[in-house]
Formats: sequence, C-alpha cells, structure tokens
Amino acid sequence: MSLMRNLTALAAASLLIGTVAIAPVRSQPADDSAASAAAVPLERQGRLRPVEETAGGAGRSGTQGTAERSPLGGRTSQLRMVQDAVSAQAQPPRPSGEPDLSALRYFASRGDTARLQAEIARLRSLYPDWTPPADPLAVPQNVDRQLEQLWQLYAEGRYAEVRAAITERQTSEPGWTPPADLLSRLALGEARTRLINASDQKQYATVIELGAANPNLLNCSDVDVLWRIAEAFVRTDRRQRGVDAYRYILQHCDNPQERLATAQKALALLPLADARPLLALERPLADGQPEFATLRDGLARRAVAEANEANRTDVDPADVERLEALAGSEGQASDMLLLGWLHRAKGELDAAETWFRRANQKEASASAAQGLALVLVARGKPGEAEAIMFGWRDASDEARATYLAAATNYLAVEPAPVIAPEVLTRMATEILTSRHTPGAQQLGWYAQSFNQPQVAARWFETALQWAPQDEPSAYGLLVARDALNDRPGVAEIQRNWASRSPRIAAFFERLATATVPSVRTAAAVAAPKAEPARPPVLPRQGPEPVRPAAETRGISRQSACQAASSGGPAASAQQMLMQGWCLMDLQRPLEAVESFEAALKSPSAPIREDAAYGQSLAYLRLGLTDNAAVAATKSPLRPARAAELQVAILANRALAAFSAQRYRETLIYLDQRAALKAETTDLMILRANAYRALGDTASALQIFSVLAEIGNGDGMKGVEEIRSLDDHNG
Amino acid sequence: MKSWLSMLFTLLMLLPASLAHAVEPSIHEDEWAQYRSRFLDRGGRIIDNGNRGISHSEGQGYGMLLAFLADNRADFELIWRFTRNELLLRDDGLAAWKWDPAAQPHVTDVNSATDGDLLIAYALALAGSGWDNRDYVAAATRIAKSILRETVVRHAGKTILLPGASGFSSQDRDDGPVINPSYWIFEAFPVMNALVPSEAWGRLSTDGLQLMTQLQFGPAQLPAEWVSLRSAPRPAAGFERIFGYNSVRIPLYMARARVGDTAALARLRAALAAEGRPMATVDLSTGRPLQPLTDRGYMIILSLLDCITDGTRVPETMQDFQPDLYFPATLQLLALSFLREEHAACL
Repeated sequence: MSLMRNLTALAAASLLIGTVAIAPVRSQPADDSAASAAAVPLERQGRLRPVEETAGGAGRSGTQGTAERSPLGGRTSQLRMVQDAVSAQAQPPRPSGEPDLSALRYFASRGDTARLQAEIARLRSLYPDWTPPADPLAVPQNVDRQLEQLWQLYAEGRYAEVRAAITERQTSEPGWTPPADLLSRLALGEARTRLINASDQKQYATVIELGAANPNLLNCSDVDVLWRIAEAFVRTDRRQRGVDAYRYILQHCDNPQERLATAQKALALLPLADARPLLALERPLADGQPEFATLRDGLARRAVAEANEANRTDVDPADVERLEALAGSEGQASDMLLLGWLHRAKGELDAAETWFRRANQKEASASAAQGLALVLVARGKPGEAEAIMFGWRDASDEARATYLAAATNYLAVEPAPVIAPEVLTRMATEILTSRHTPGAQQLGWYAQSFNQPQVAARWFETALQWAPQDEPSAYGLLVARDALNDRPGVAEIQRNWASRSPRIAAFFERLATATVPSVRTAAAVAAPKAEPARPPVLPRQGPEPVRPAAETRGISRQSACQAASSGGPAASAQQMLMQGWCLMDLQRPLEAVESFEAALKSPSAPIREDAAYGQSLAYLRLGLTDNAAVAATKSPLRPARAAELQVAILANRALAAFSAQRYRETLIYLDQRAALKAETTDLMILRANAYRALGDTASALQIFSVLAEIGNGDGMKGVEEIRSLDDHNG
Repeated sequence: MKSWLSMLFTLLMLLPASLAHAVEPSIHEDEWAQYRSRFLDRGGRIIDNGNRGISHSEGQGYGMLLAFLADNRADFELIWRFTRNELLLRDDGLAAWKWDPAAQPHVTDVNSATDGDLLIAYALALAGSGWDNRDYVAAATRIAKSILRETVVRHAGKTILLPGASGFSSQDRDDGPVINPSYWIFEAFPVMNALVPSEAWGRLSTDGLQLMTQLQFGPAQLPAEWVSLRSAPRPAAGFERIFGYNSVRIPLYMARARVGDTAALARLRAALAAEGRPMATVDLSTGRPLQPLTDRGYMIILSLLDCITDGTRVPETMQDFQPDLYFPATLQLLALSFLREEHAACL
C-alpha cells in the first residue's frame, strides 16, 4: 500500500519535472486554467507576451479587450520589456572553464564564415577573457573524427541519427559525454522540427508549448517559426499574443520579403482593427515606396467588407475611393457588390442600384440579385425585384426571404397592379411552399381588391392557419366573409376576435348601427376570358370541377372535417384522405393539399392513388396547374382518373397560355386536350379567340358560327364582331 | 529521488527475468540485424512494406520494443527520436498514427491509434527502467497519462479501450463505442499502472479478458476486427466483417501477458486452425477462409499456444527467422522472445 502511495507521489513529481511544458493546452477558449498554464513559460521568458495581462490582472480579460484599452505609452514600455527579454534570452547562463571549440572548428572546416562569426560572437559573450584565433579558418580540424561525423549529421538535420550515434558512442565508450553545445543545438533543432510538424497538423497547443520551452527558436533568423507561433495563438483564441508576435517581427526583423509576408499573414488571420496598427509599422523600401503598398487594395476591400458585415457605414473615404477605382478598372463583380451593399447601408439607393446592376451584369449571383431586389423594393419597384429574385429564390434562406419580401411588397402595391397570371402563380406557389403568412395575407388583399372575396377568404384562412394569432389575417378574413355575406363565418370571427381586436370590434359596431346591412352578392370567380382586361386572380377554380362541390357550407360538414383532423399526428392515412375530401367539399383546397400530402405517405396503394388524385384536383382548384401535374404523378392512377386530370390540367394550361397572350401555345394545349375529350363550349370560344388573336379570322369565324347556330351568346357575339370588322375594312 | 527508485523497482519487477539480469537478450543480434536491415530506415522509421512502405505509431512502438528486447540502445534511441519528432505532435500528448513518405506533410492522419500509443509508452517504460534512463520513463509517463485520459472509458459498466482519440466513441458513432480487440496489449497494462497508477488499468485487463472470451462471431466462432459494443457485441458497421490479420495478435498478447486460463487459449487455438483447416483470415458471415496465414510469423502463434497448452515442441522451421513482411516478422520475434524467456523447454 505504501508502495502505491510512493508511486502516486512519483507520478505527480515527475510530471512537474518533465512538464514545464507538458500541461496540455486545449484550444477551448473557456479553459482558463489550461491557457494560463501554457502561458507560464512564455511569460517567464518575457517573450512574445502581452504584458498588459500582468498589469491588467488575471485571466481572459487580457486577450482582446485590453489591447484596445491600453494606452500607447503602455505599449511602448511593453515593447521595451519584450526587447530586453529578447536580448537577455540570447545570453544563456555564463559557464566556467575553457570554451568548447568543436563547433568553431566544424564551421571553419566547412568554410561557413557566417556561422563561424556568429559562433565567435557567442563564445566571446560567454567567455569575455577568451581571445578568438587570429585566423579562425586555420583552426585545426577536430581530431575527433566521430565527433566530426556527429556535427555533419546535425548540419544535415538528421537529428535522430545524431541521437543514435551519441547513444552508440556512450554505450561503447562509457563516460564519454557529447559537447554541451552540440546537445543544446540538437535540442533546438528537434524542437523546431516538432514545432513545424505540429503546426502543419494544426496541433496549436503543442506549437505554443514548444515555442515556450525553446525561446532561442524565436528570433528574426527563423521568421517561419514566429509565424507559426503567431498563428497558433490566433487560432487558440489568444489573438493579442498573435498580434504581439507579428509586431515583434515588424519591429525587429529586416528581410523585406519576410516583412511583407508577415503583413499578409496578419491581414489574413486578424480582424482589421488588429491588423491596421501592425501595418503602420511599415518602412520605406529602397526605392522610397512604402513596403506594404501592394496590400492597400486588399485592405480597402477588407475595410468595406467588414463594415458591411457589421452593419457599419463608417468606412474611411480613402478606402471607398480605392475600391471604386478598383471596381471601375479591374471590374471584379465582388468589388462592385461590396460597394453596392455599402451604399445601400448608407441609404444611397441610386449608387447602390448602379453597383448592384453592374455586378449582376458582370457576373450574375444571388448576392447581386438580392442587393438589387432590396434596393428596388426600397425604391418602390417591387415587381422588378420579384422578377430578378425569382431565379435565385432557392440559393439560400436569405435569398428566399428576399424573394418573398419582394413578392409580398409587389402584391401590396396600391392601387393593386395588374400582375401577369404566371407571375401570380409562381408567387402563390412560393408563398405556399414557404408558408409565408404576410404573403398569403397580401394575396388575400390582392384578390379582395379585384372583388374576389371568395378567393381572398381562402388566402386569409390559410394565413390564419399558419399564424392562428395573427390579427391582420383575421381582419382580412372578416372583410372577405362580409363581402360574401357569409354570416356564420363573420359570427365566428366576432366570437374569436372582437375582444382582442379593436378594429374588429368596431366593425361589428358599425354593422349594428347601420339601418340596412349591406348585402353583397358573392362575386363569381371571374373567368379570365370574360374580361380580358382584368387578369385572373389566383387561386381560381378549375374550369371543369370533376367532383361536385358541396352545395352548402354546412357547419356540420365543417365539424366533420375537424373531427378527422383531431386525430392529430396519429391520424391514419385513411382519416387524412377523408379529411382531404371533406376540405375539398368545403372549398378549402389549400388545406386539402396538406391532408392529401399526409395521406400520400400511406403504405396502401389505393389510398395513395386517391390522395394523389385528390391533391391534383385541389391544386387545379387553386389554379396551380404545374403543382397539379406533379401531384398526379405521385402515385400510379387508374387510366380514367389520369385522363380526367390530364384533361383538366391541359384546359388550365390553355387558359393560362391565353391569359399570357401565348396564343399558339393555347391552341397546342387545346389540341392535346381535344385528343382526350370533346371540347366544351367555353373552350371552343377560347379556341376561336386564340385564332382571332393570331389573325386567323376564318377559323375563328367557323367556330363562332357553329356555336351561334346552337344559340350560344358568345358565338353570336363573335360572329357579329368579326363581320363588323370585315365591314369596316371592306 | 526515492520515488524514482521505487518506480524503477516496480518496473524492474515487471520486466522479464532475463532482462533484469542482463543475460543474453531474448532477441538475438542476428535476428535484430535482419529485422533492422529490412524494416528500419536510417532515419529511425519502421517501414511497413506490406502497406506501400508507410510508417505508423504501431510500427514505431514495435520497433522500440524489439530493439529493447534485442538490447540495442542506439537503435532504440533512433526509432524513438523519429517517433517523437515526427508523430508525437498531438495537443493531447498522443501520437499521430500515420506517416507517409510520399506525402507532404508526411503525417496524413493526425488521429491516434491506441495500440501504437500503448506500445510506445510500454517500450519507453521498459527501456527507461532496464537501462536506467529517466527521460524515457518521463516520456512514457506522459503518454500513459494521455492514453488514460483520452482513450480509456467506461461503457455499460465495463472499462474499455477506444481505438483512437476520435471517431470511435458512442458520441462519434451511432453504433459506438467501437473497439478493436487486438489493441488490448495486456502485458502493457500493469506497466502503465506503475507509471500512472489507476484502478482503470486493472479493470481494463479484467474486463478485456472477459470480452475476449465473448467475441465469437459466426460459424467460425472468431473475433471480428472491429466490434460495436453499443448493445451486445457485434461486428461493427462499415468495416469488413472478418477475422483479420490484426486479430491474430489476440492470443499472442494474452499468452505474453500470462492472462487467460489454458482453456481459453485452447479454445482460441482450436478456432484458429485444425487438422485440414489451416489458419486463414475468415469471412465471419459464412465462416469461409479468405487469405491463408502461411507466414511463419503467424504460424508460430499456433505453436506457441500448443506449447503453453500441452508442452508441444515448437518446430525448428518456426524458430528460423527469415523476415519478409513487416507485420508477421514482428509477430515472430515477439513470439520467439516470449518462448525463450518463459518456455525454453519447447524450443
């Protein structure tokens, strides 16, 4: 037992001995103790150390914040401390006795005068009384051939082999000790190798530990090591120490290439606020140019980019000017974008629009489209914004949000603009798939403004379903239901909302005081061809309702639907299917789409078939023809049903094409449909109108005549119009 | 000073008797010379010539252990220094496992391999106490601490060894923890305990031994190379479901550590090979042999088990060292060293 205790004590003790540098440094920023443990050696050495930590107190407060707070005077004195420490470092403790000349001899034998002089200087500082030989190159060779070989291996960086050779000799020649100079150089070489290997593997704690334990590694003759130390500090949340390391190089080291590379590295790793003061340490080159001139462009880019990211506009005008010159001459789209965002943040919309347009022209991108769309919305041109953003809507969450904002703003324009049906369709589709409440609401108001309260009510219901506590949606629904004279519906809103919404309460007060309640007839969903001047408002009912709609919106039917949905997540596919049909009967195709979607997950093929069929019909009713076509493919359908859907889809496409003035396309869809099922009267009129629009009055007249003969009013009108036109021309 | 001596004493007690008394080393000079000329590059790297000439922490650990058993201090120092400079880089104090001479930087996977770490620490501890070198023991202690902290974990009431610092734990994998039973180097655990005393080492040994008897998969009743311990042990997903080259070491390690009763070793011996069914890697799903294991480095393990279970003599050819591939050559020297120290009568 006591042996065990001894062993424990030993383990603790040996850890202390071996580990000035062993304490593992983790990269977690929260690990205060580990960080300070690793910091000890460096601080003790007084190298590369942010002295403000001693002055500013313990712990993490000293990493970033203190740098900005500490006055310049503090900095200067710290610097002096570091310098002192560095020069002190260069002098190891003074040894006694005779100098070891083996290194001197080695460098002399190789004719390496630079190292030879350095070694002489080193020996002189160690042994002030020692007189260097008059002709060092003439110093006799090492007589010890084996030792010479060790130096040779060392010079080639074959450190493991030097170690093995030392061990070999100590084994064969007990009592032999290698020169202390060789050992210390060897240790330093090994530490450097390990430091670089560890740095390559991003083992930053090891890097810092090795740097701390080997202060002689840290000097201008080996800037690479200093760079790696700096990076290790920055990447382990000790940025200020990284800054100190870079500053050390820029203050003390003279190689111009290395200085420039240092500035580049600092710029790449540090925020601008930390990098700028370092760049101020630049010196003039031999030709008088400032040595970091080539970095100015990058700096300007960074300045604008960082301001944009932080939502700041306080960029040095010189940086903006430089970037504008760059964007003008080199013309990189990314520079133009930076300027676009900056001007937008400043509220300079003209300039912002110009730069975004140029960027988009140079190289179309989601970011350029987004910037342009936001500016256009701000300038009251949401329609253009919608068109630009549509292609980028799936590029990112931000892009999607921008698209939806553009679409919603477009719908909200007063007075309501006439929007092309395919644009309305795509906006409605995106608003649906994103469950974007404000968008659904605006679709409601848009329909309402074209006097289509039934459609409006569906959109407000949808918005309310996505956001049940959304008062504006409830108010919209109230207005729409009132227009439809839907009393139970109106009463429902009064019940749920009057206590919560003053304007809804006020609405009912007005109703109560009015002598005759305004009873408006429900506006029929306009068939687009009836009034070509007004675009069809989405969603609209399919032209051929293949399933009879419920005659009444019975409360009992509605509660039946709710009963089905009360099954919650556990509701069976069969229940969801029933609910889908129920909602279709209630003219709530938006919700029906979702119920059918849930039913589509059923393992049962017949249920899936029904669900696909139902969902396709629901989309048709919403006027979302493409979605209807997709839904029809979600499960194999019986031929009769597939044909039925196909007929309805083609009819819808024909209508949409006609509304978009694509008359040839209209005829193609009508022909495809006619191949499946005989053309109905209204589609025949559509066909005739398409012919007429294409200038084929003969074909148009032929159809109108056939219809006129069976007493169809549109047919007779068509015949009349064409004849009168002919009269005019004739 | 006193504690250093007492640790040295403990470690010496754990050493094979022959070593502590500096008689003839259990790996002969000519054997080590052959091994060295074939697998040791002049810079101190053990070359796995069966794996495109790469090196790894396992090979470095084996090289150090064999150099120690051959009583060659200079070669030990050479291999160790390479290991330290090139692999012992990780922040957590473990070795990066993979080193490729063709790649730059040479370390191509910085993750650790626990068997490599164990072998390096074990060899350092043996050499440090056998040759009275404190630096070696300090380095061994540091690695042992890291192994304990990073890879020795409790799972479902058992103490287990994760194969590496990342990628194998229950947090890292859906079927984690995943282990490699051939990483249980039983002989190293008591030495680790002398370096860094912890009850976990003893439990690792006991629980590991129990685990080894459980791992009998498929018709062949052999352990899988990678085993999921999420629920009942089963071959881990995403790895080949085989009894592979690595697993051959399981009985060798058990025998060398003198753990596991004769019956357990006899069962493993029977599962490995029998009359008319030579030793091979095995597809565990079908029990069918894949690659025959004919190298004497593998075959000697059968002879070693025979020697332990019924005293059968080890055939002369098995004792003849003609190295070809790094891995079986290493196993053959470990087996020979053990037989010379513990079962000289079988030779």
